[in-house]
Amino acid sequence: MAEVIDSMLDLMRRLPPTRTEENVEALVGICPNEADDLLQSVDQPLRVMVDRATGREYLACDYNRDGLSYRSPWSNEYDPPLEDGTVPSSKMRKLEIQANEAFDTYREMYYEGGVSSVYLWDPEDASGSNFAGVVVIKKTMTPASPLEPAGSWDSIHVFETAERGRQAHYKLTSTVMLHLITRKGSDSESSKIPADKKGSEKWKRDGEVSLSGSMTRQNEQDWPLNDASSHISNIGRMIEDMEIKTRNLLQEVYFGKTRDIVYDLRSVEDLEKARRQKELQKELVGFIKR
Amino acid sequence: MDATDRIKAASQFLLQSPPGEINDVLNGAVQSLQPLHETGILIMNATSDIRYIISDDDLLQEGIQPALREYNIEQFTVVDVPETNHQSIISEAARVGPSESDGEERFLDPRSKTEASDPRPIEVVEEHEPIRAALEAASLNYLKAHFTEGVTSVFAPREGSDHFVLQIVANKYNPSNFWSGRWRSEYTIDLTSKQVSGRILINIHYYEQGNVQLATTHTVTFELPPAAISATPSTTASKILALIEVEEGKYQMSLGETYQEMGEKTFKGLRRALPLTRQKIDWDKVMGYKLGAELSGNKNALPSGQADE
Repeated sequence: MAEVIDSMLDLMRRLPPTRTEENVEALVGICPNEADDLLQSVDQPLRVMVDRATGREYLACDYNRDGLSYRSPWSNEYDPPLEDGTVPSSKMRKLEIQANEAFDTYREMYYEGGVSSVYLWDPEDASGSNFAGVVVIKKTMTPASPLEPAGSWDSIHVFETAERGRQAHYKLTSTVMLHLITRKGSDSESSKIPADKKGSEKWKRDGEVSLSGSMTRQNEQDWPLNDASSHISNIGRMIEDMEIKTRNLLQEVYFGKTRDIVYDLRSVEDLEKARRQKELQKELVGFIKR
Repeated sequence: MDATDRIKAASQFLLQSPPGEINDVLNGAVQSLQPLHETGILIMNATSDIRYIISDDDLLQEGIQPALREYNIEQFTVVDVPETNHQSIISEAARVGPSESDGEERFLDPRSKTEASDPRPIEVVEEHEPIRAALEAASLNYLKAHFTEGVTSVFAPREGSDHFVLQIVANKYNPSNFWSGRWRSEYTIDLTSKQVSGRILINIHYYEQGNVQLATTHTVTFELPPAAISATPSTTASKILALIEVEEGKYQMSLGETYQEMGEKTFKGLRRALPLTRQKIDWDKVMGYKLGAELSGNKNALPSGQADE
């Protein structure tokens, strides 16, 4: 059934990013057999939950889910509570606590707000040293009034490690989901003009601009290994570099590419005038040459 | 999920298709539906001659019909008009019927005064034709000035109504560079009440290394100044189009400002390019242990939480 999942992913690459959740749900309904594959391959917006034990916010995603419950990285507890929920081994949990602290600092320095969570899972291989994990960060800007811009940023960094003596090989797949929305209304401007004022100035305008989507990149690198916690600083450096690059890419695509396409569809300048000017210039050049 | 629900889901996907990609979405939806429907392949090209290449699945073919129709009407799908060298817009304003004789719907091409779907002459309401034709001519001039690939249709008032409908659509599909875009605008012009109401819709899809979409809506209503309505249809029409040109130009400028605002306020507010220190993070410090701290004699390398060098 590899082809079905491929076409589902192709579909998700085309449908509006603002409707990812409902579309994934519909696809799961159509093909329940592919549900696990689909949920693992399609990044969905992260959800903020509150740890009942510590009161701290954490992020819910497919990676800390067991059934219908989500594990908090702070208390290691599931919500709703699970008696036999999967938790990392004590060695892995120790590293997970350290990683959560480190990325909480990272989040504060770059995002100055928002929520971060790190989830690690124990190695499945016999050597027991190649673990994997995910670093997730979310920040939302909620406008104070409906006409102020709103936005959200969701980072999902999935990594795999492979120890090779005093080195480790890392494979990182990063997705950033960025949604930006601005609403415009003319009620505020038109209210300045008295309602009974006659004339042609009665223009009313309303609108919304939504710029949203996700971009995914991969990277593989080798880094030296001193002890277990080197993994965190190694992954930290890779994620930091990746987020810097992805942020640049997002800036280019969101504010450059999509804008250029709008100006490609409709030209602000009068094309006809430009054409005539060009012809006139040609004529003049021809005239001078003669 | 039963067959009806699957069709419903597939129809929802279709209606969300980005500009020029309904084919891809359709094929994707069809393949996702395969567990139930063996091999239904239904293809409609981007400029919308609906054609069914193969389909041994009547349920899917039929079930998806209303969504295809809705998509074509909503998205101002452009069709070549046979025996002319222009294109015409499929829309609610163009719809004729369903007819009493065969129950079929048709779409009018007001420019050639035939049906776009099946060229046959349409009765023209003489009374409105001079203004309609003048608006069409003015709109074609406007297209030349601002759109490289624009199509326009202007419809005369229907029976029992007073308004002309002017539509513009411009599509650009560039799959080799992973993007597509559509500009739609529609104006309802009422010369009796001197009211114009319009909307502009832009959809852009960029899908290299991801899926980024711009979706904008803009509605505007305004009154026609008395000076705009003149005795000669061509003067009236060019004055109306001049107002539309100003409005669309203004809108495009304001969109440019919105872009700037989103880039400068929202984007920067969500994530900084670099921390306040203007340097990348010192991960060894963040980790609460500094490499070589013991060698350098600095035993107080505690987690500072700040890269402050």
